[in-house]
Amino acid sequence: MFLTINNIKKSFGSGDSRVDVLKGINLSMERGEFCVLLGPSGSGKSTLLNIIGGIDAADEGDICIEGERMADMKEKKLTAYRRKHLGYIFQMYNLIPNLTVRENIEVGAYLSDKPLDVDELLHTLGLYDHRKKLPNQLSGGQQQRTAIGRAIVKNPDILLCDEPTGALDYQTSKDILKLIETVNQKYGNTVIMVTHNDAIKDMADRVVRLRDGMIRKDYRNEHKIPAEDLEW
Amino acid sequence: MKNPLRKRLLRELKSEFGKYLVIFLLLAGTISLVSGFLVADGSMIIAYNEGFEKYKIEDGNFRLGEKANKAQLKAIQELGVTVYDLFYAEEPLTNGSTLRIYPNRDQVDLVCLMDGEMPTGTDEIAIDRMYADNNGLTIGDKLESGARSWIVTGLVALPDYSCLFSDNNDSMFDAVKFGVAIVTPEMFANFGKDELYWNYAWKYDVPPEEGEPEQDAAEDLMQGILNEAELENFVPTYQNQAIQFTGDDMGSDQAMMVILLYIVILIMAFVFGITTSSTISREANVIGTLRASGYTKNELIRHYMTMPTVVTLISALIGNILGYTSLKEVCAGMYYGSYSLPTYVTVWNAEAFVETTVVPVILMMAVNYLVLRRKLGLSPLKFLRRDLSRRKQKHAMPLSPHIPFFTRFRLRVIFQNAGNYLILFIGILFANMLLMFGLALPAVLDHYQAEIEQNLLCNYQYILQVPYDAMNEDKKLESMISMLYFRNEVETDNEDAEKFTAYALNTPDKPYMKESVTLYGLQDDSRYIPLDFRDEGVYISSAYAEKYLLEPGDEITLYEEYGTDTYTFRVDGIYHYEGGLTIFMAQKELNTLFDLGNDYFSGYLSDTEITDIDGKYIGSVIDAEALTKISRQLTVSMGSMMGLVNGFAMLMFMVLVYLLSKIIIEKNAQSISMTKILGYSNGEISGLYIMSTTMVVILFLLISLPIEYEVMVVLFRMMMLQSISGWITFYIGPEIYVEMFVMGFVTYLAVALLEYRKIRHVPMDAALKNVE
Repeated sequence: MFLTINNIKKSFGSGDSRVDVLKGINLSMERGEFCVLLGPSGSGKSTLLNIIGGIDAADEGDICIEGERMADMKEKKLTAYRRKHLGYIFQMYNLIPNLTVRENIEVGAYLSDKPLDVDELLHTLGLYDHRKKLPNQLSGGQQQRTAIGRAIVKNPDILLCDEPTGALDYQTSKDILKLIETVNQKYGNTVIMVTHNDAIKDMADRVVRLRDGMIRKDYRNEHKIPAEDLEW
Repeated sequence: MKNPLRKRLLRELKSEFGKYLVIFLLLAGTISLVSGFLVADGSMIIAYNEGFEKYKIEDGNFRLGEKANKAQLKAIQELGVTVYDLFYAEEPLTNGSTLRIYPNRDQVDLVCLMDGEMPTGTDEIAIDRMYADNNGLTIGDKLESGARSWIVTGLVALPDYSCLFSDNNDSMFDAVKFGVAIVTPEMFANFGKDELYWNYAWKYDVPPEEGEPEQDAAEDLMQGILNEAELENFVPTYQNQAIQFTGDDMGSDQAMMVILLYIVILIMAFVFGITTSSTISREANVIGTLRASGYTKNELIRHYMTMPTVVTLISALIGNILGYTSLKEVCAGMYYGSYSLPTYVTVWNAEAFVETTVVPVILMMAVNYLVLRRKLGLSPLKFLRRDLSRRKQKHAMPLSPHIPFFTRFRLRVIFQNAGNYLILFIGILFANMLLMFGLALPAVLDHYQAEIEQNLLCNYQYILQVPYDAMNEDKKLESMISMLYFRNEVETDNEDAEKFTAYALNTPDKPYMKESVTLYGLQDDSRYIPLDFRDEGVYISSAYAEKYLLEPGDEITLYEEYGTDTYTFRVDGIYHYEGGLTIFMAQKELNTLFDLGNDYFSGYLSDTEITDIDGKYIGSVIDAEALTKISRQLTVSMGSMMGLVNGFAMLMFMVLVYLLSKIIIEKNAQSISMTKILGYSNGEISGLYIMSTTMVVILFLLISLPIEYEVMVVLFRMMMLQSISGWITFYIGPEIYVEMFVMGFVTYLAVALLEYRKIRHVPMDAALKNVE
């Protein structure tokens, strides 16, 4: 298995105010798989994503990526792990305001020894004509495309997407989802996407539904449809 | 691939141009001042030291009662020295000063012509450059002494008068009322013999080593001269204040300037730290994303450290260029304002470069690294959640609902920006301290002068000068006769005159500089200093008590200038006298203690002038003018610098207030925008955000004043202990406090106006755009 998640537990607070957010999550994924984590607010999906991303620590359990145990990693190694394996996309685009579209993508390229060709990627993202613009000159969708470009330019093994369409309108959301689908197919990255939009599950290879910190459903999507055809 | 984040730097510079400009101006200004000072100081010290060789400075000089004949000169020269005529005449001028006039020299103590030409005619004169400056004299002016007059043809520096001490026994020089000048030998020949002082310079044939061998050589020479002629004065160069004082003083200012620079750099480093912290808070999400994507903490630290480092580096380089070009002249001007130095050549100063470039950059990097390491040490998740406080604030500071809403709002702004305000307070403290120094020094000197004039021990203190031939150990009988003759000659019929004994001892040379303390042996029932001495105790002057923090009951130990004898005194009381460091004791006690004999006395205290003692027996007269020399000289030499200090303090104050209040407004841009949307007017919003800073600035200005006073008293005392003989009380009149407050507040108002403009320009959509 490419990614193995073993009995991950996580709680916040202590005493009476202690909340168990993850109560023992077990999961494994293949390389190139498109996995959607679904669930209502507070179900623990973002926390699980953050733990996979190495920006939050589990109380118990461990995550292995290509045989490397994350629990054994100190801060420096974790940073190197993120640098080598991960690309992050958030609901907010978090672009650097005084860098152009191209430069924001270069910020991601810098982290990789063998980054993708930035110009080619700009074409793929549909941003080539906007490459010299600053983020505040772009629409929300264009900004999110730039953020996706920044995440995938280093050709990460895993693309972690935390509600990437949460701040976008219907059509733009679909465009973004199509883009992620294209990226997944073109570059073969494993995609783990957190969303509370139930419709998005239909474009995934794998659907994991969380509630109250536990996996309630984990199944392969036999009737996968293209992002283009999603409706909600 | 180069880090693409570096592309932000130029854009950051452009968008925050105002901020970087003021920081640059302050840093470059300070560095140029310090660099200019260090370069001028270093170059002048080199010129001063090389001057000993270049201008053939004497190894010492002595004055005889009569002109030495050939046989006497031959006998003296056989003692291993070459003797040169250095005769002079003294002319009281109509402008109230006295000019010591020499014929031009060509063998020893050569003249450095600074401007104009050397005199060629009998009505021409070249005068000391600094004396000319202090008396507003220029080339072409006419000098008059009643009987004679000269036209000034040139301005000169005499290497044996780099510091214009008219008498080596003086505690301070006076370059206003005393000067030196050069005339042609032909003109000098016009002086009558009775007008001349038979002064000679000597140079050793084989120069002795410094220290004890030099002292021994000088003592042997003095004894040798005493055997040959009537010696009136004997000053080896190592004791000659007119030559040595300048060199001693020049080096001592360096440390102070460098410390000033480092304090400014540290304050600016913290300001940078705060502005960068504010940027980090603003960019928390971006940082969180970068960290989550794999950027290391050190990569981000390096990125955020670049601007402070580059700005400091550019400031240091430009500061140094300015220092070596224009500021060097300003700083050299300060020395030329105090000392009569010859011309100098600018010398590259590697130490100055390290102190003004390398160290500031390292300091800036170190402070910013520490601030950033702490700030960027949070986890990526915390940045993504914008949760940047290390300690969770569990409760809002409780504020009574009875407090009006606007006041509560302002208080919240103040609590929110406590860190910024702390730096502002330190900055105000430092800037105001400089301002206090700049404004107070003239007042301190005026107060000192008034205090001295009002509290003289008496109008005239005469210190008698025992003839050198009364001290000739090789001719004991002649010495005794000479002494008896002297005793007879120094009796006076002036009824106001009261005999007293003066004796000088030194304070220890550690931990502060060694300085002379005068012991006054007073007659019982002294008319001038009515003190009741009991049980061998002594009184000390209030100046002595204040400088060394002495109280009744304390013991003080003093040392002989030469020799190893020490003397310990118990302080019984303090006598109000600010004119010097003095000990008052019974004359009998003093005479016994130093084995001087019961009838011994060395001077007179008198309210009226004593006219029936030959001037050659009077070593010095201490009157109000003599006692206030120090304040006059400090006013002349430091007066021009005070304007510079005040300007610098105001600039520093302005920069700090501007930067820190800018951060506060930027931090609250979203809230300001939201209050605009809610319908608050710009005036009301300024009332909330600017008024908070106004309240804090007023509070800081007020509470900093007593703190600054206390710190200044300590610093001033340390400065006096380390480098100035005597004592000047640090006194500040209430008007100085008012002046400081007004200057501070007016400076702040100018900044507040800029901030008001900034608030007006906060767009209403800021509240909507940046909402997470």
